[in-house]
Amino acid sequence: MRKRIHALVAVLGITFVLGLLAAPANAAETIEPAKPLSTEAAKQCFEKLAKGGDVTADDCQKAPSPLLPAKNEILWGTASFLVLLIAVWKFGVPAVKNMEKAREDRIRNDLESAEKAKAEAEAEKAQYLAQIAGAKDEAGRLIEEARQAAETVRADLVARAEQEANDIRARAQADIANQTNQAMAQLRTDVASLSIDLAGRIVERNLDSDTNRQLVDSFIDQVARSN
Amino acid sequence: MNALLLAVDVPPISNVTIWGAGPLGFNKTAAIYVFAALATMLVFVLGTRRKDALVPAGLLQNTAESGVGFVRNQIIMQTMGTDGLQYLPYLTALFFFIFFSSITEIIPFVQFPANARFGMPLVLALVTWVIYNVVGVAKQGPLHYLKNSLIPPGVPKPILILVIPIEFVSTFIVRPFSLMVRLFANMLAGHLILVTFAALSAGLWAAKVTVVIMPFSFGLLVAMTGFEILVAFLQAFIFTILTAVYIDSSMHPSH
Amino acid sequence: MALLHLLLAQAAADPTKGLTAIGRGIVYGGAAIGPGIGIGLVVGNAITAMARQPESAGTVRTTMFLGIAFTEALALFGFVLAFIISG
Repeated sequence: MRKRIHALVAVLGITFVLGLLAAPANAAETIEPAKPLSTEAAKQCFEKLAKGGDVTADDCQKAPSPLLPAKNEILWGTASFLVLLIAVWKFGVPAVKNMEKAREDRIRNDLESAEKAKAEAEAEKAQYLAQIAGAKDEAGRLIEEARQAAETVRADLVARAEQEANDIRARAQADIANQTNQAMAQLRTDVASLSIDLAGRIVERNLDSDTNRQLVDSFIDQVARSN
Repeated sequence: MNALLLAVDVPPISNVTIWGAGPLGFNKTAAIYVFAALATMLVFVLGTRRKDALVPAGLLQNTAESGVGFVRNQIIMQTMGTDGLQYLPYLTALFFFIFFSSITEIIPFVQFPANARFGMPLVLALVTWVIYNVVGVAKQGPLHYLKNSLIPPGVPKPILILVIPIEFVSTFIVRPFSLMVRLFANMLAGHLILVTFAALSAGLWAAKVTVVIMPFSFGLLVAMTGFEILVAFLQAFIFTILTAVYIDSSMHPSH
Repeated sequence: MALLHLLLAQAAADPTKGLTAIGRGIVYGGAAIGPGIGIGLVVGNAITAMARQPESAGTVRTTMFLGIAFTEALALFGFVLAFIISG
């Protein structure tokens, strides 16, 4: 924005200076249509006319032709054009070419770096995808392992529990059998002694004790066998 | 009665095209030529500062770039092809110089196309004439150049007596003359039309009764001012492309 | 000075003076007829060409301006000639 303002100010300033330089000429011409009498040539012409020279009044009234080239304008114009031509030749066109080349280079660089970045991103993406796939496999493997471990643990536990239960049952059965045997033995002893006691008491009254004991024992065996 | 209705004071032509001379012969026309050169240089200096701008931004940069691009693509490539790229600086300077010294026709308070004076069109046409002749002589050799420019291909021998003078006049005299007159006369005619309609508008405004038709005259003045922008551009373009065409005819003769 | 003004008055009253202006008008008017027709032909045919082949409009337009420039030159010669005529 500032640069634009500077450029505008520069153009306006140059125009103003040029206007000032050209002002005297401009002002002299714009006052009135140039009456033939007001120009130097016309005055001379009229003096000649007054003296009776070979000119007519029409010659003196003639305005300068708009077709005739003016030497001063050609000189100034040619000088301006030459300066401009050299400036454009040496600086202007090369500067524009440089600018276009710089832009071209920059666009090409940008495109190339974008291409490179894209390729890099693609590669990284592929890498990430591979990593993710690997991680998935790993996770699956881990889960499978864990499941297998849990399965083993469970089977182990079940087996151990069954074993224990079996042990307990076996022990209990053994205990029961033991107890039963003991109770049987005790009972037999007790029954025997009780029976002997009872029979003794009975036999004391009638028979000798040995025959009776034999009778009772055989009876008890009979009972046990049938039991 | 006449004076009451209309008092149009159209100035004589010499009063709207011929300016007196200040110090060192510096007058309005010279000032416009200096302005044209300075304005072109300003465009190139300010327009090419930001070298690596990706997007051409700003009026001046656009003007500098599209001006050179226009001369290269629309003028040189269309006529000369890649051989002509070495003339890019001359044609660019020519285009901008003619355009800027003509466009002053519609700039307020200046309102004079410097090319409505005979001087510079003459000089520029002569420079172009010298360039295409020198190029022709340098590329083809003097005799071949004369033969190629004077004898069109496929013309029966007896007619050559008639054709050769015509071709000579058309190649070596009419070309620069028409180049010069085309630019000069277009600018002078446009300037005179603007002056006429401006004077007519002023006259109609001053007279009491006729003020009602003044808008027509003024509207035409505005329209012609717009048209003169197109003419200034078109004349710069035509002068430049004809220069390119003439140089091309010297570089690549048609056998 | 009195003599000069008398001479000027006589010159202004010269009836042949307006003939120059008439001559200029005839010259320019005559010179404008041919190029007027010519430019009409050029532009008309260019428009036909552009309408038939819109894709080549750019080339046709450039060529059209060149043709206009060549044709117009004749009218401009007349325009300049009108200034050269002096009575």
